[in-house]
Amino acid sequence: MSDREFEAAEGRAISHDHPDDLHFLIHHAELPETAFSRVVDGALARLGRSISWAWIALMAVIVINVVMKNLFGEGRVEFEEIQWHIYAALFMLGLSVTLATDDHVRVDLFYGGFTLRTKAWIDLVGIVCLLLPFVAMLMWYGVPFVADSFATAERSSSPAGLPYRWIIKSALVAGIGLLGVAACARLTRIVALLFLGRVPVAKKTEA
Amino acid sequence: ADKLRWKVPNAFPSHLPALGDNVQMVADMLKTASDGQIQFKIFEPGNLVPPLELSDAVRDKTIDAGYTWLGYDAGKIPSAPLFSARPFGMEPWEYTAWWYNGGGKALAEDVYGKRNIHPILCGITGPETAGWFRKEIKTMDDLKGLKIRFAGLGGQVMQKAGASVTLLPGSEIFQALEKGAIDATEFAMPAVDQKLGFDKVAKYNYFPGWHQTYTAFHLIINKQVWDALQPSSRALFDTACTAGVMRNLSKGEAIQGDVIRGFEAKGVKTEKVPTKMLHALKKLTDEVMAEQSAKDADFKRVYDSQEAFSKSYQTWKGLAYLPRDFNDEKQ
Amino acid sequence: MALEFYEILCIGMFAAFIVLLFSGFPVAWVLGGVALVTVTVAAYIFPERLADGFYSVAFSDLAAVTSRIWTIMQNWVLVALPMFVFMGLMLDRSGIAAELMENFVKVLGRAPGGLAVTVAAIGLLLAASTGIIGASVVLLALLGMPIMLRTGYSPSFAAGTVSAVGTLGILIPPSIMLVLMADRTPGVDAGGLFMGALIPGAMLGVIYIGYMMAVGLFSPKHAPLPPDARRMRLSDLGGVFKAVLPPAALILAVLGSIFAGFATPTEAAGVGACGATLLALMHKKLDRAVLREVCEQTTKTTAFIFAIFVGATAFSFVFQALGGEEFIHHGLKSLPFSHDGILISVLFLVFVLGFFLDWIEITLIVLPLVAPVIAGLDVGPAEVGPRMIWFVVLVAVCLQTSFLTPPVGFALFYLKGVAPKEVTVAHIYKGVIPFILLQLGGLVLVYVFPALATWLPKVAYGS
Ligand code: NA
Ligand code: NA
Repeated sequence: MSDREFEAAEGRAISHDHPDDLHFLIHHAELPETAFSRVVDGALARLGRSISWAWIALMAVIVINVVMKNLFGEGRVEFEEIQWHIYAALFMLGLSVTLATDDHVRVDLFYGGFTLRTKAWIDLVGIVCLLLPFVAMLMWYGVPFVADSFATAERSSSPAGLPYRWIIKSALVAGIGLLGVAACARLTRIVALLFLGRVPVAKKTEA
Repeated sequence: ADKLRWKVPNAFPSHLPALGDNVQMVADMLKTASDGQIQFKIFEPGNLVPPLELSDAVRDKTIDAGYTWLGYDAGKIPSAPLFSARPFGMEPWEYTAWWYNGGGKALAEDVYGKRNIHPILCGITGPETAGWFRKEIKTMDDLKGLKIRFAGLGGQVMQKAGASVTLLPGSEIFQALEKGAIDATEFAMPAVDQKLGFDKVAKYNYFPGWHQTYTAFHLIINKQVWDALQPSSRALFDTACTAGVMRNLSKGEAIQGDVIRGFEAKGVKTEKVPTKMLHALKKLTDEVMAEQSAKDADFKRVYDSQEAFSKSYQTWKGLAYLPRDFNDEKQ
Repeated sequence: MALEFYEILCIGMFAAFIVLLFSGFPVAWVLGGVALVTVTVAAYIFPERLADGFYSVAFSDLAAVTSRIWTIMQNWVLVALPMFVFMGLMLDRSGIAAELMENFVKVLGRAPGGLAVTVAAIGLLLAASTGIIGASVVLLALLGMPIMLRTGYSPSFAAGTVSAVGTLGILIPPSIMLVLMADRTPGVDAGGLFMGALIPGAMLGVIYIGYMMAVGLFSPKHAPLPPDARRMRLSDLGGVFKAVLPPAALILAVLGSIFAGFATPTEAAGVGACGATLLALMHKKLDRAVLREVCEQTTKTTAFIFAIFVGATAFSFVFQALGGEEFIHHGLKSLPFSHDGILISVLFLVFVLGFFLDWIEITLIVLPLVAPVIAGLDVGPAEVGPRMIWFVVLVAVCLQTSFLTPPVGFALFYLKGVAPKEVTVAHIYKGVIPFILLQLGGLVLVYVFPALATWLPKVAYGS
């Protein structure tokens, strides 16, 4: 049986109608929201929307640099540095946006078949024992890392490059900090489901 | 001596001749001379701490020591390139004279001491090549609009000369040079350039290495760690590193000639930058140095010290040595 | 042989990682978290067990993780990744990709496995323009997965196709991997290695295509013909031409700008993204909503890929600090040393390490160690230069496979992140198996016929 036929058969075997049944809980239910998570996830979604426009700026900087270099012989080190500044800021800030929408890559070999409660337990243990300590560690060393850059007025190690290194270095701390906040928001949703008896909600249909 | 087991990151791949191989030799000397008390585990670049972040890691005592090129610290310590390489600077033994006898060591220890780091001069090599070019360069006008990969203070000089300067990472240089995305690149000494295969894609190899007349390497040690060492250990470090300087210089000088002749056999044209251009580049360099001196007090202090030493040394240097082209004229 | 304590820690770290990976918690945070837990165990629970050697660790060592992440942020070459992702999303969301693929289907409609072959062809072009695995896997998945699934391809075959073809970029120049490998191997330079890897890389592409056509022919339920497949009529040609020309021109422009020397591969990605946007504009498919969705999705896709980079850099730092390199050295030293035997053992070891480690670690640890040994062996080409190129190409093929081999296959993670939700990791694991076997077949061919790797460098550069 091909994968597709297998799935079709599986789909037929389990009814879609009952919110309580296993299939619903596996494929269509989501963690209940909390007041905290609504605020945080909403803010992160807005953040994601606004920073994402900068990809167009990145594209523009690259194209301008290519044109200047080839037509006017005027490529600049500053332009090259702006390129990775934009890219670095966006991916660091994107970490939290992506966590809020649960889009980080999971190996769903077994996870895909777990019920929402089991998934919630896995995320609870994972966030508390793995993610949050990792975030805390990066913040612990990240803040002095940025502070030192500020204190020494660090600039590009290339004399022709950009000044104010602390700004782009702050993206590291900001990105990791927001990641921690996003993780806490998800944690409240997990706690609401597992310990406060809140019921799962139906997954919003994807665009 | 103390019993030390240090993880020591190397800012250069260990197999690169006269560049990355020196610290292993120093480590071997230390181990033998201390009867196995002092041992390093050398880590390849990036395996433990990224090369550009070595100084910070030593300052924070994430690692006890590292072998690096201080120029990587230019962003935080503007004077650092002067200790490691600069355009129209001293010749290598002139640099060691300045370091050991002309106040250079004290200056470096002061500047780096403020960052909680103790630097020990531990290796030095002669000039790099002036670069690999796809076309001939005859006048300063040829530099205008030239797409060139050029790092450091020399890069700023090039930018002043009107070149289109890029900082392309090492991994992209070959490809960019082959396809013509850049017209030229500087990189390292011939024996190292050979590894990147530039001779296959750029026909002209230019000399002299005006932009980097010496390349000095330092073993940097966390200052608290250094201060807490027994005098016998410190003496061993100083001895091994002084030997490292001599051996590194000797090896670097010994191996380049064969490599250059090998390039020539494959059709590479070995060229000299015209003296007139060198003077023009020197003038631009002076401007860059003046700008940097105005920006940073330590830069000014170190630069002035180097210039004063060179000036006084010139009396001896100009008189005592045979002219550079003496042997050529005889032929 | 009794294991040293640091070796037990290294093994334990990997075991914990694999187990937690299958729990389904996000890969990135499993990597980062396990690194932290391992340091805690080593520094606080058993500090005395490590105190005497090189591999004691302290919590404060983890400051290096911050600087390693900062180094990723500064990596200018990786700027190409979001730009290629942007380009793929733009072609996808504006409907240009679907139109392009549908028209290819008109041409190749009756050819068995035609869609997969189309994806492979685009993948080969991409491979020649970038060496960044994440970018090409994502781009191919966006272009090819939806239409393959809609046509009734089995998810596993579609997933296998995309991930295998997407990883070819690391073997076909330009490739960061080859540059690093050349850098770490005495007697081999980047230019020679680029030439050496070209034929084996292209050969693998051809082998993939052959396999895809065979699947279409003999197992059509995995790769069915489109329902409306018919012999192409001459009157279709105009429409096909009109639809295919602009996107094809775009891809050629990206490639061309690299080959003409207008742009570096990094810049070409930005030029490609810009071109895709202009293309969408010309097709009147570009409005604020599309642009916004493409930008937002680029952020998410880039973020999940870099999250894995961030976790992995923490993991590999701790692995190194605990003496992981030494641990692997020990394994290598216990190999049975006899000429062909050594070479085969080395390749086997690289292949097995590829299940767990990524290519950077393997290159940095294994190559400098075994290269001098290989140089002195009586295998393959008689001259040392060609022999080393041949050997490094063999290792490169093994390393390309490491992106595909479960459980830690980075191409698989990237694909999982971007593929339609119905594609599971099980589909992906199942789908790559035939391609891994084909890779091994390719490896054997290069082993038996060294000229595949040595002929081109000799012709091109006379070395
Ligand atoms: Na490639
Ligand atoms: Na793998």
